[in-house]
Formats: sequence, C-alpha cells, structure tokens
Amino acid sequence: MPGSLTPLSVLGPQTEDERNRIRQHFEAGASARETLDALCNLADRTAQQIFAEVLRVHGAAAQGLSLVALGGYGRRLLFPYSDLDILFLFGSEKAETEFRPLIADFSRTLWDLGFRVSSAGRTLDECKRIEEDNAEFHLALLDRRLLAGDEELFDRLVKKVMAGSEKQARPFLLAELTKLTKERHARYGNTIYHLEPNVKDAPGGLRDFQAAAWLRQIAGDQRDGWKNSATEEELSATAVDFLCAIRCFLHYSNARNDNTLTYELQSAAAERSLGIPKGPARDLRRSPEEWMRLYFRQARVLNRLLLRYIEQKPAVQLSLRARLLNAARGARGDMRKGRSFAVRDGMLEVVDEQALSDRTVTFALFAEAARTGIPLSREAERAIFYILKHPELPQKNTEVNWTTLREILGADYPSMALRPMQRLSMLMEVLPEFRAIDSLVVRDFYHRYTVDEHSLRTIEHLQELPDSCDERATHFRQLWKTVERRDLLILALLLHDVGKGMAVENHVTGSLGALETAAARFRLSEYDAAEVHFLIEHHLDMSATMQRRDIFDPGTVSAFADAVATQERLQRLCLMTYGDIHAVNPEALTPWKAEMLWQLFAATSNYFSRTLDRDRLHASDELSLLEQVSSQAGGANKTEVERFLEGFPRRYRAVHTPAEIAAHFQLYQKLGAEPVQTELKARHHSFSLTILTADRPALFATISGVLAGWGMNIVKADAFANAAGVVLDTFHFVDLHHTLELNPTEIERFRKSLADVAMGKAPLDPLLKAREIASKAKPPKVAVETQIGYDDASSVHSTLLEIMAQDRPGLLYDVGSALARLGCNIDVALIDTEGQKAIDVFYLTERGKKLSQQKQELLQEVLQSTLS
Amino acid sequence: MMKLEAIIQPSRFESVKDALREIGIEGMTVTEVRGHGRQKGHTEVYRGREYTVDLLPKIKLEMVLPDPLIQRAVDTILKTAKTGKIGDGKIFLSRVEEAIRIRNEERGENAL
Repeated sequence: MPGSLTPLSVLGPQTEDERNRIRQHFEAGASARETLDALCNLADRTAQQIFAEVLRVHGAAAQGLSLVALGGYGRRLLFPYSDLDILFLFGSEKAETEFRPLIADFSRTLWDLGFRVSSAGRTLDECKRIEEDNAEFHLALLDRRLLAGDEELFDRLVKKVMAGSEKQARPFLLAELTKLTKERHARYGNTIYHLEPNVKDAPGGLRDFQAAAWLRQIAGDQRDGWKNSATEEELSATAVDFLCAIRCFLHYSNARNDNTLTYELQSAAAERSLGIPKGPARDLRRSPEEWMRLYFRQARVLNRLLLRYIEQKPAVQLSLRARLLNAARGARGDMRKGRSFAVRDGMLEVVDEQALSDRTVTFALFAEAARTGIPLSREAERAIFYILKHPELPQKNTEVNWTTLREILGADYPSMALRPMQRLSMLMEVLPEFRAIDSLVVRDFYHRYTVDEHSLRTIEHLQELPDSCDERATHFRQLWKTVERRDLLILALLLHDVGKGMAVENHVTGSLGALETAAARFRLSEYDAAEVHFLIEHHLDMSATMQRRDIFDPGTVSAFADAVATQERLQRLCLMTYGDIHAVNPEALTPWKAEMLWQLFAATSNYFSRTLDRDRLHASDELSLLEQVSSQAGGANKTEVERFLEGFPRRYRAVHTPAEIAAHFQLYQKLGAEPVQTELKARHHSFSLTILTADRPALFATISGVLAGWGMNIVKADAFANAAGVVLDTFHFVDLHHTLELNPTEIERFRKSLADVAMGKAPLDPLLKAREIASKAKPPKVAVETQIGYDDASSVHSTLLEIMAQDRPGLLYDVGSALARLGCNIDVALIDTEGQKAIDVFYLTERGKKLSQQKQELLQEVLQSTLS
Repeated sequence: MMKLEAIIQPSRFESVKDALREIGIEGMTVTEVRGHGRQKGHTEVYRGREYTVDLLPKIKLEMVLPDPLIQRAVDTILKTAKTGKIGDGKIFLSRVEEAIRIRNEERGENAL
C-alpha cells in the first residue's frame, strides 16, 4: 500500500545511536571483527528497510531488481567511514528505466542517514561484457552479496552469467590486478616501511591482503602451489585483524576515510595497545616505536602473501650478454654445488630444499644473487622461511663468517641478497646490530622511511648506478664501478644509522659501538675495521662540507682532504654520501646537491694527486707510528725506523697500516744482503708486488717492463722514495695468463727475474720480445683518446705530468722508458686504471729541478708518438 | 609590503637563516639555484674529463615583509652573507600590492 517513507527525524537518530554504540563498544575494547560485523549489519538492515519502504511507496515489486553489495561491503569488511558499494542489478533495460526514480529515493535516503553510497547500475546482459577500462568494477563484483530484491535475478547472475564471464575474463583480470597492484606499490616506493604508512593502500596494507585473495579466487584451481600452509593462514588472519583494528581506529580518530597512520595516531594507538588481542600481551606498556614494529611485522606478512602471486621480474635489468654469462656460470655452479639451486625463468630456484638445512647452502644462494643480480624466486624465499619457522628441523653451519658475508657485500648487486635476508629476518641473524633499527620509526619530517629501510635503500641506490639513466647518477656511475673494497662501504652503510635505535645522545657514537662488536665477531683486520670506522664516523661530513662551506675555496678542499687522508677513502665516502642523501626521500638528492657533491669530490681528488710531494713525513714527529712500527718489527731500533720513514710522502703513511710499514721496514733491513727486496701477495683476482731498492735511473720503467714481459697487466701502482733515496714501489697487477696462479713454482722464478733485471744482471729485451710474439693485440672495446698535460703550479719541486691513454699491457713500461730516455726522474708516481683508460700522474724532475719548457715539449712529442 | 629576494652563497645559508630568525623572520621560501654574475665560472678537469662549472650553485631566499622589517632584514643579510669575495650574491627588493592567505582569505600584512 503506497504511503510515505519513515521520516528522517525518526530514522536518523536511530542510526546515529547505533553508530555511537558500535564506536563506544570498539573503544571499550571490542575486536575489529566485531566492530566491522556490527557496522555491516547496521548498513544491511538500513538498506533493506529503506529498499522495502521505497518499493512500498512506489507501489512496485522487487521483480527485475536486485540490490547487490560489492567490494569491501560485499565481503562484510565495512569500516566506519568507508563507502557503501552497491550494484543495482536490473533484469532488463526496461526495468532499469522503471526503477530509476525508486533508486534515486533509495540512494538519497541512505545519504541523508550518513551512508556514503557508491553505486553502479547494470543489466544482466551488461554484466556479461568485460569493461576493459573498468577492471575495478569486475574486481568488486568478485565480492558480490545479495542485499535485497529479486533473489532469482541474483541467482541468474551468479550461476549463469558470472560463471561463464569470470572464466572468460580470467586472463584480463589477472593482468589488470597485477598491473594495478604494481602501480599502487610504486606510488608508495615499493616498500612497507614508511614512517607514516597508509594502512589500506601502502604495500603491506589491507589492500595487499584483498589483492592476494582476489588473485587466488580468479586463478581458481589453475595454479599449483598457491595454497597456503596452516602457519601462513594463521599468520595472515592475525595480521588482518591487527590492521583492521588500526583502520577502524583511524576512521574514528579522523572522522573520515583517512587511512594514514600519522605520528600522533601512532602514539595514541600504542597507548591503547591497539590490535593486540585481550590477554597479558595487551597490558604491556609499549613505546610508539615498539608498537610500530608490531605493525610492520604484520604488514610484512600481508605483503609477502601477495607477492607470492605477483609475477616477479628481476629488479636489475641485465643485458642479454650478462644473462647468458650468468646462465653459463650458474650451470657450472649447479654442478659444483650438487644442484642445490638453479636459474629458471630468470630467477634463482632451490632445486634441493633439504639442502637448505645447511646454512652454507643458503648463503651460497644469497651470494649467487648478489654476484649475478638474479633475484631469488618467491618460492625459494618461502622454502627458506619454512626452515626458519621450524627450528625443530635439523640445521647446521648457522654461524656466518666475514669471508661469506664479504662475498655478498663486495659483489655487484649486494642488495639482491640483503633484501631477502631482511624479509626473512636473516640479516639480523648475521648482523645482530641491525636489530636496533629493525622497522624503527624515528620521527623526522625530512626522512620518509624507517631507519632499516633507509639503510638498505642507500645500498640499492649505489647498486643501480651502472644502469641508471638518472641525471644525478652521471658522475657517480664510474666511481661505483671502480671503487675499491666495496664490502667495507656496504658494511658501513648497513651500520651507519644503527645508533638511532640506541639510547645514546649522538647516533654516530652508537653506530661506532655497534661496529666494534661486529668487527670483533667477524674478526675484521685492523685496516678493515679502521676504514669502516672512518666511514661511519664521518658519514655526514661530506654533506655538511658541501652545504655549509665554500667548496670553491682551496682552504675548504685542503681541510677536507686532510680529514679524509686517502683517495680510496674519498671514493667510498663520496658514494656513501650519495646513497645516504638519495635514500632520505625520493626528492632529497636534487641535481643541485648531486653536482655540489661531485665538485667537492673532484676538487679533493685533484688535490690528492697534485699535492703528493708537498707534505712529507718527518719521522721524528710521528712518535706513535715509530713506536708501533718498531714494536711490530720485533722491537726494531727506532732510529733505524726513523731513517727509513723520513721523507716519504704522507700518502705512504695513509695507505699503509703500521703492520704493513713494519713489513716494509723489515725488507729495508735486508737491503744490505740483497739489494732488491720484493714481496708478492695474492689478492682477490690480482697480485700486489712491493719492491724496495736504492733509486737508480729507469728503475720504474725496468720493473714495469719485467711485469709486461711476464704478461702481467698493471692496474694500479704507487712509487715513493724516502729522503735517503730508497724507493718503495707497489704494483697491483692482473696475471692475464694465470701464469703464477696455475704454476706456483713460477713465483720464485718471477721474483728472481725481477731482481736480476732490476740489478742489471739479466737483460730485459728477451723477456719483452718473447711476450711480443706470444701476445696477440686485441682491438680495444672503448677507444680512449690520449691526453697529456703538465702542471707546474701544484708542486714546489716537480713538474706534474698527467697522462690519460688507452690501457694495454706494457703501457707503463713504454711511458717509463720514454721518461728515462729523456733523463726525467720520477719522484712520485700514481698509476690507476678506469676500465680501459689508464690514468697516470708522475712527479718529474730533471737534475733536481722542474722540467724546462723545452723538455716538456720534447717529452710531449715522444709520448704522443709512443702512445698513439 | 615588499618582496625581498636574496641570492647568497650556499655556505652562508644556515647563518643567514639563523640571523633572520633572530630578528623575527621565520617564513621564507628557499630554492637551490644555479647562476652567475661577475663571478663567472671556471673549468675543472677530473681524470681527463674536462667540465665547465659555468653556473655556480647558489641559494635563493624569497620573503614578503612588512615595510618596517625590510631594512633590518637587508642589514642582517648583508652582515651575515658577506665574505667580501666575488660571488657573495645580491639582494633584490620590489613592491608587493597584495598578500592573501589561502586558508582564511586574510589580506594585507595580516596574511604575512
């Protein structure tokens, strides 16, 4: 019988009272599930009542119209200020026209009662079609639930229409959902670790859980291995409850659909132990930081759940050549390691899951990822997670040593291992000091991410440098490729901010304390520990210098250079600063800052190479060094040590530890018995040779010649002399033909050959001729133009000769010979390579004076012809 | 009301900001800029790669102030940003007709 709707003056207060009752119940400690259920029941009851009334008022029957709840409302997860997603399903177009005025009344009444109705209308036929520009509607339809109206029509939708169309739409929905998820994650920097996260949309938010459920629902029984274990189901149910409680709380606190967990609301949530079920755990008092750790733990569960179903692509896009090389190496690795893991579809898969109970295998897997840039498959991570979650399973070799960790940290893609290690909480197992910043929120309006996330991002920004098209990366790309001891840099980055998680006044002090314990546990060498210590202690210095000092003032550069002391440290500190600023937030490293950083780096680097002979050691001022060298050389006479050290450039002191200087001193003491002393050490893929002898003409060229004759390619060298004319040359070279590596007996012959040629007992020419015949000249991959330049201003005593040229075996011998032929004495030499480019700096004198203009021109001509 | 624009050396920024705060000026817009006046640029060489630093890094401060504060602000910037070398920067002043606070539509000096 027609009539009028129940007046809003009656319905309004009733609905509001019920809303208030639900809210009070929630605030008194009701669970999120109870709250959401109550809100959903209220919405259902109200919608059904209004629908019945509008039908009555319009004198209509529900035949041909169904009210269908969709999306979150459809699955009964209705948050206090969420939209009410409703589909008006019509039996035909005619029904759609007839019901339109009724629907307008229905929607208006719900709006007036404070429900935010988000409605859509479709006929049954329209539901069959795929709307390619509206994947969200199809996804919402997956959670359909009949609210009121024509049951038979809804039944037809479910059994006849959706059954067929969903199967047909499956590939479209899978692709669209994956795309939407990736876009959503990218909007949040692909990380769950935000200081103020959005608990609905950010990675690890409730949307992740829903997307995972949809993906499973769409794929149906099509995918093997998509079933969750009981542990995973339990973990995700707990995580959903936790996040639902937060979202309810945020809606009530903000009085709108705002899902950002701000600092203020984090404190309020921690205060009331939000999300923690009733029991003793709920009564514990937690700081906001501790409570946020609980949040991130739950977010991690939901994020991991979703990522299992999302197509995984390598984070680092490798070239075809790199992929083929890695595949070949991977195949060799599989055989060596008894096929514990293999590369499949561009991912590292575990072949033998049982083998994972041996932590050596797990870390070999991580090292492979770090070396090749190939990511672990999600299933591989899941298999490791399973082992970790079941401590009752046998596990061995759980201790990790520095050699293993160094392999990961020093690789080209350290983050490819560190990221899964963090996700699996293994990073904290290896580096317990990192626990202090695990998911740590430090309130800061400049930073965007948690402290651990920031630290890992610093490493990712460096790792991405070689392939980055970013304008800011331009200058730093080559630096990353050529920096020495990357492992120390990465360790410093992992530890540089751990002090932020400690009760210390200055976080750097805390981080240095953490390094001390880590260094003792890993038994780091004195040099390694000192280098990491330097980087952590000074990690803000370069940034402060470039922003608060005039970097174009030579005084600023020399003061900064004095503090840094060596070129190697400068390179590491510069990269550390680049990564550290970049990881603060996406906008922190402006092109302006990147340019300033580069200019400070270049100016300091140039300062190092141009001022080498300006500052020489005065051993009598170095009492501590004298003491250490004397003691490490078995209580050597300090006057003798003083005589040895006197006059070396300060760089000598900066690049060698007291132990190394003591070893050099011991060689020096033997000069009386044998006038050429050598020390040969095998390093990672290379050798280092130290030679001590009295200075003589063409010595540098002769040694370079012997190395060339033996097929060694010099990649780096230093040549220093002390005040007494004792020369100490260090050559780092690659054994191109593996002569020394494969024939250990050749090492002695090599040393003898060096000594004999240096002393003039054996000729150099036959060695060089034999090599000339054996070696075939290969065309260079990158052509480097020869550049020769002089600098007469930087040094008081010498002329600086700077050469850039195409690197090739024997190059240094050719340059050294030319210098010797023209009577140029090498006071100091710094030899370096950058890919196929040789970069050499020589401090030259002629009869104790700078080179004349005439000599410079002649030398230029000779070198041009030698090097071209 | 006047708009004050100051181009200063990046290394002087913290000192200038602190000094302006001391005389009661907290609101300002800060931009990282590059440019040159008489200072011009210079050429640097690093490992054989020559690069010209023709646009030098500077910081630009912008603030709109009531008339009585202008001279004090100028004096403060002059005092704290000056090193006496070429490249210390410049200050520009211009008249502002109106200021409107978007939140509550307040106008004039009340909106500053």
